[in-house]
Amino acid sequence: MLKNSSAKWSGTVKGLHRTPRSFLPMKNFESLSLVAGIGIEGDRHATGEAFHSDRPEEGRQITLFEVETIEALLRDHNITLNPGDHRRNVTTRDVPLNHLVGKRFRIGETVLEGTRLSTPCRHIEQITGLELFNQLLNRSGLNAKIIIGGNIFINDTIEPE
Amino acid sequence: MRKNIHSVTTQIKSIQVDCDGVKIFTLTDPEGWPLPTFTSGAHLDVYLPSGKVRQYSLCGDPIDNCQYIIAVRDEKGGRGGSNEIHGLKEGMILPVSLPRSHFSLVDTERYVLIAGGIGITPFLSMLPVLNRLNVEWELHVCARDEWSVPCRNILNKYSNSGRIFKHFSLQGNRLSLESIIKGIGEKEHLYCCGPSSMIKEAIQKGVKLGDRLHFELFGYDDTLAEAVYEVVLEKSGRVIPVPMGQTMLGALRIAGVKVPASCEGGICLECKTRYLGGSPIHRDLVMSADDRKDFITPCVSACASERLVLDL
Repeated sequence: MLKNSSAKWSGTVKGLHRTPRSFLPMKNFESLSLVAGIGIEGDRHATGEAFHSDRPEEGRQITLFEVETIEALLRDHNITLNPGDHRRNVTTRDVPLNHLVGKRFRIGETVLEGTRLSTPCRHIEQITGLELFNQLLNRSGLNAKIIIGGNIFINDTIEPE
Repeated sequence: MRKNIHSVTTQIKSIQVDCDGVKIFTLTDPEGWPLPTFTSGAHLDVYLPSGKVRQYSLCGDPIDNCQYIIAVRDEKGGRGGSNEIHGLKEGMILPVSLPRSHFSLVDTERYVLIAGGIGITPFLSMLPVLNRLNVEWELHVCARDEWSVPCRNILNKYSNSGRIFKHFSLQGNRLSLESIIKGIGEKEHLYCCGPSSMIKEAIQKGVKLGDRLHFELFGYDDTLAEAVYEVVLEKSGRVIPVPMGQTMLGALRIAGVKVPASCEGGICLECKTRYLGGSPIHRDLVMSADDRKDFITPCVSACASERLVLDL
């Protein structure tokens, strides 16, 4: 059931996560504060403390991941990925992340623009101790930049702009 | 704060002087954030200010992911790493690697653990796990005397368990590895950590245990290339001689070939390199048999043929 008659899809925020430095576990939050053109307050991508911060990328201000992938890993591979273990900032439901490269969409009061598909890296295997790399190919989430900042919350609606 | 984006940034929260040239370091995140989790028997690489990299076992309970505890003996006449870490102060930032383990507990009914000197450290993260699993275990602690047993404060938590047996050489009460090994049942696993002489004896006398023998060697095993051979670099076509007394890694470095390396003791696999031909002599301590068909560790391994071809 579409929540907005003009929207082709409509999803929700199921998890919000951040960590201040590379390698550290992600913590779950009820809300995150997004700063346009920068990133998420207190997150490693905004502070230059991320593993890839020596290779800066405008399009990696915020990252998203589908909860459906977490469910598929359990269903198809018996792999349990805990919230935030995917190391992306926003866990979504009913959002076609792979279709949003170059597209703008809203989360609550904020507007994001998809920049590229996230790619899995061995880094996540090191941190979680799970053999995940192959299972995450082509469904490792979305990198985005923040066009309009603001606070986002669990259960916020996600829709095309 | 110094940025260490390719390592885990820790801060030295406390330094405790232990016995016999041993200091215990407690490391935390500078802002109290949880640290990456670890499993029993895990170790981490410590990146020292000089650029040296050293491996130390984690001595804490894996259930506590807010601190890493390492115990370091100042090895007189060593390669300088332990001496440097003994000079560090509380409050200093100390980058470390993610914890990893080549010395994990496998699923079995009973565990026999043997610790020689500072080799007690990996067992200290195993004991709380074994207790929670409610399985049978016994730990043999070998040292010169009671006062030279490292980390006694941690070990004392288990002193009433009746599972810890101490063997002090000054009292003439040396451990008989042979009798321990003879007593290992089919559903028991033997874990050894200590000096190379102890490990070599365990390997020699424990052949029949097969994969029920687990060991971790601390320190540098001075296994240098014993014969002259040449390393051929497939991609560049260069031929680099390895003289008597030189490691393959050392010869490559002298020739200006950069190979990432960390422990240089055949433990961390940082220098693991694909080989394409020749007869390698593997001296690493951790690579699987399958991996050894394709890879070699130039830091400690050598070559039995006249030439070894590397995929470099």
